[in-house]
Amino acid sequence: MVENIFVGFAEWLRSLLAAAGLPALFGDIVLMIVKVAGILAFIAISVLWIVYMERKMAAYFQARIGPNRVGPRGLLQTAADMGKLISKEIIIPRAADKIVFLLMPVLIFVPSLLLFAVVPFGKNMIAVDLNVGVFYFFAVASVSTIIFWAGGWASANKYALIGAMRAVAQMISYEVPMVLAILGVIMIVGSMKMSDIINAQQNVWFIFTQPVAFIIYVIAATAETNRTPFDLLEGESEIIAGPFIEYGGMGFAMWFLAEYANLILVSVLATTLFLGGWLAPFGLTFIPSWVWFLLKIYFMIWVFMWFRWTYPRIRVDQLMNFGWKVLVPLSLANIFVTGIGMFIYRAIGW
Amino acid sequence: MFGQGLLKGLQITLQELFTKKVTVQYPEESLPLAPRFHGEFVLDVEQCIACSLCANACPNKVIEIETAKLDKKRVLTGYMMRLQYCLFCGLCVEACNKGAIRFSQKFEMAKYFRDQIPLILYKGEPPVQEEQGNTGITAGEAEGTEV
Ligand code: SF4
Ligand code: SF4
Repeated sequence: MVENIFVGFAEWLRSLLAAAGLPALFGDIVLMIVKVAGILAFIAISVLWIVYMERKMAAYFQARIGPNRVGPRGLLQTAADMGKLISKEIIIPRAADKIVFLLMPVLIFVPSLLLFAVVPFGKNMIAVDLNVGVFYFFAVASVSTIIFWAGGWASANKYALIGAMRAVAQMISYEVPMVLAILGVIMIVGSMKMSDIINAQQNVWFIFTQPVAFIIYVIAATAETNRTPFDLLEGESEIIAGPFIEYGGMGFAMWFLAEYANLILVSVLATTLFLGGWLAPFGLTFIPSWVWFLLKIYFMIWVFMWFRWTYPRIRVDQLMNFGWKVLVPLSLANIFVTGIGMFIYRAIGW
Repeated sequence: MFGQGLLKGLQITLQELFTKKVTVQYPEESLPLAPRFHGEFVLDVEQCIACSLCANACPNKVIEIETAKLDKKRVLTGYMMRLQYCLFCGLCVEACNKGAIRFSQKFEMAKYFRDQIPLILYKGEPPVQEEQGNTGITAGEAEGTEV
C-alpha cells in the first residue's frame, strides 16, 4: 500500500483523466507536469533541509549545538536565511556583463533539474528511464562547469575569474576518474539504464564487488561538488568567495542552493550505482522502496558532510596531482581488473 | 600505512558527534565568573565618607563626586562614573579605605545611546540647610549629557 502510494496516485490520475473522456496524450502531459512539480517540491524541501542538516552536523562534529533559535530546534533557520537573502538588494558591478551575470545563477539550476528526471526514486518511480541514463547524467552534469565559468567571468572581478578557472580545472579533472570508476559497474551490468543497474544489484550491491570504484567515485564526487577537502573555489584568505564573490542576495542564494542540489545528485548516483538504489537490504521489504532510497541518499549526504567537517583543505597543485596521478591510474587499473574478473567468471561458466 | 591518518580523523569526528556538547546557551545560562571579576561598579552609600580618594586615584577622571557640608561634615550628594572612559583597572576600588566602591559580577553594560553610558551610583537630595550647588556639579549636569 505505502509502497505504491506514488505509483498508485499516478495510475489513479491517469484513469481519472481517461474517464473524463480526454485523449491519452493529454493524460500523459498532465502526468508529466505533476511529476515535474513533485520533483521540484522534492528539491526545494530537501535543499532547505540539507542546509539545516549541514549546519547542525557541522556543529555536532565540533561538539557544538548549532542553530536552535529560529523555530523549534532551529528548523526554520534556512527559511529565515532565505527570507533575508530574498529581501536583499541585487548589486550589479559596473564592469560586469549584466545579462550573463544575472542569467547564470538562474541557469545553474537547469542541469540539476534535468538530472532529477533520471533519478530512480523508487520502484517504477523514475520520471524518464532513459536507456543511457548514466551517460545522460554525466553529460548534463558537465554543463554546470560552463555556468560556473560564465558566472565568474561575467563578474569582471579577478577573484571571481581565478575562482571560476579553478572550478573548471577541478571539475573537468575529476570528471575523468569519476566516469572511469563508474565504467566498472557499467561493464558488469552491461547497461546504462538506471533501473537495470539497480536490478543487477538484487543479490549483492556493487559497493562489495567494486569497492575501489566506490572509493574513487566518492572522492571524485566530493571534488565535483566543490566540498572540503576540495573546496578550492572559495577561500576566505585568498580568493574569498571565488566565482560567487560579486553575487549577493538571491543570486548568491541560487548558487548556494544549486551546490546542495548537486550534493543530492552525487548521493543519488552513489546510491544507484553502488548501494543498490531502492532495493531493501536483509529482505526488509516491508519498508517501501522509496523510503529505502531516501535513507540511502541521506546516508551518502551525511558521509559527504562527515568528510567536510573532518578534513582540512588541500592545495590546488595537490588537488591536480591527486586527480591525474593517483585517481585516474587507479580507476584505469580498476577497469582492467574488472575486465579480467568478468572474463574469468565467464570462462568458468558462471 | 597511507590513509591511516584519514581514517583516524574520521573516527575522531565521529566520536565528537556523540559527545556532550560544550555550548553554553548564553542569555539563558552563563559561565561562572571569577570572584574578583571587574564588572560594573556598585557603591555602598552607607559606607562612603565622600573623601574623593577614588576620584583622585582614577587615571581617567571617570569619577565625579558631589558633596555638601552638613554640620561641618562632608556628605555625599552625587556619585557618577563616566564609564565610557573607564579602564576597569580597579585603582578606585583599591584606593577606597572604606570598601565602599566595589566591582560586581554584572558585565552586560551595553547601551543603546551614548548618553545612557554614565553610571549614576548615587544622587541624593542635598541637605536642606545648605545652599544648593556650591560644590561640584549639580545633579542636573550629573545626568551625563557630556561625552
Ligand atoms: S576602574 Fe580605573 S579607570 Fe575606572 S573608575 Fe576606577 S580608577 Fe578610574
Ligand atoms: S567610594 Fe570610597 S574612596 Fe570614594 S569617596 Fe567614597 S569612601 Fe571615599
